[in-house]
Amino acid sequence: MIGRSPLAREFWKHGRVAACPIYDMHGHMGHFHSIYFPRADAASMVRTMDEAGVRLLVFSHHAALNSPDLANEPSIAAVKEFPDRLRAYCMINPNYPEQVARDLAAFSNLFPQVYVGFKFLSDYHQVALTDPRYAPAWEMANERALPVLAHTWGGSAYDGEAVVREVAERYPQVRFLLGHACHGAWHAAVALARDFPNIYLELTAVFDDRGVIEIFVEEVGSERILFGTDLPWFDPHHAIGVLMNADISDADRHNICHRNAEKLLAPILPDLIA
Amino acid sequence: MRFFDCNAFFGLPARRPLAPVATAEALLAEMDHAGVDRALVWHIAQHDVAAQTGNRLLTESIAAFDRLYGCWTVLPNHASELPAPAVLFEQMYKTRTVALRAFPDDHRFLLGEVSMGDLLSAMVLRRVPLFVSLIRGITWRGIYDVLEAFPELTCVVCDHGCWGEDRMFRPLLERYPHVYIDTAQYLLDGGIEALVSDYGANRLLFGSGFPESYFGGMMMALKHADIPLEAKQAVAYGNLERLIERAWGDIVKEVVV
Ligand SMILES: [Zn+2]
Repeated sequence: MIGRSPLAREFWKHGRVAACPIYDMHGHMGHFHSIYFPRADAASMVRTMDEAGVRLLVFSHHAALNSPDLANEPSIAAVKEFPDRLRAYCMINPNYPEQVARDLAAFSNLFPQVYVGFKFLSDYHQVALTDPRYAPAWEMANERALPVLAHTWGGSAYDGEAVVREVAERYPQVRFLLGHACHGAWHAAVALARDFPNIYLELTAVFDDRGVIEIFVEEVGSERILFGTDLPWFDPHHAIGVLMNADISDADRHNICHRNAEKLLAPILPDLIA
Repeated sequence: MRFFDCNAFFGLPARRPLAPVATAEALLAEMDHAGVDRALVWHIAQHDVAAQTGNRLLTESIAAFDRLYGCWTVLPNHASELPAPAVLFEQMYKTRTVALRAFPDDHRFLLGEVSMGDLLSAMVLRRVPLFVSLIRGITWRGIYDVLEAFPELTCVVCDHGCWGEDRMFRPLLERYPHVYIDTAQYLLDGGIEALVSDYGANRLLFGSGFPESYFGGMMMALKHADIPLEAKQAVAYGNLERLIERAWGDIVKEVVV
């Protein structure tokens, strides 16, 4: 038994709990460099989601991250294959402004059947979140109060805490999901979440750092923390085990697993969330 | 399901982490909360201070708790600061110390025949497991090197990381029959299933990486992995029990609860 609470007992016993569905707000899909992924295609990922009670995964295909040739097409195809279980972030690669223009032009037609927001990967594309090449996407997200999941890493000149603060000030309507929660700069992430009510801390790759979740819950509150796994990278059961083992309440666990995501997504996906 | 953790430490690190666990008593309290029965542990001073200091602290701290087994740190011994292998093993047996750890890069030596051939040969003969951690003082290159020189060494590779290391450890599992990996940071979705399917259930040991990682993460991943119950039991505790028994025989019988 990994924890004493009723929810921990249920998850430990069954691996998933109907009363506590999971919304995984940070996923990918497909091959990536030389990484061996046993379950990286859409069908295998949905199988994993079933095993852990993951209701919905919001993701961006690895090809969308790193291949301007393929761009968002593989993400779109996967959502169309599993429309009840998957939604995509429209990946923005600011190194190709003409592709960004095409992605933004296509966005409205694909929202919300395919897209629920945008994904930025500044560290990898080596373009800071504050760079003008991101501005068209930020502006669209700000106007429509959309979720933006940005990879954020402590100390990064592209998406570290200082850069995040600057764009958060600029775009107060964006639902700004800090992917990896400014990894390593945990207290800066707390300060950002306290200063900006539109900022959410997303937990991909945070689950394996013992103590962070307790700090976030204590100092920010569990209402602005979101579950994420980088699936197909990380087993959602690992993340669930950590949440059940961590020193937080079952109410906090419900917030992190589903309530916060439901609130965030309900205006966008009223049919799916209801 | 019982759990026997092969990879946990206690003691206060020199650089303060978020959630340190200072004492063996505090470690046991966390193990009780998570449902971990036994653990093979080391003291952070073995890395942060010195082998001699840390090993002594470890032994004093766990003496009263037979759910905890010790894992000492070793060094090249050309100045004879540590006992010779036969005496070292005797002391280990008396103190429930069943494995050894080395941090060659951080402790500035080369783990291999020239520097530590005497001890490594004796470990092979006695089948004493060597634990190494990719997050403390060794690289894959160093692990490949020591195994090339000592292909029969029992070596448990810990903390190999969450960003996809299969192409690093699978060649070792295929080449060297006494190489094992632990579960700490093996977050890969479907990873446990794939590894058990390709290499059987005997090459993977439950290791938490506590206190830097939670016990509950990999416990949950293992509990709900899509593998047979016997395979889960092997990973959760059976494989580590077997490694200890091979080296120390009755030491396990004496202290198993
Ligand atoms: Zn990601």
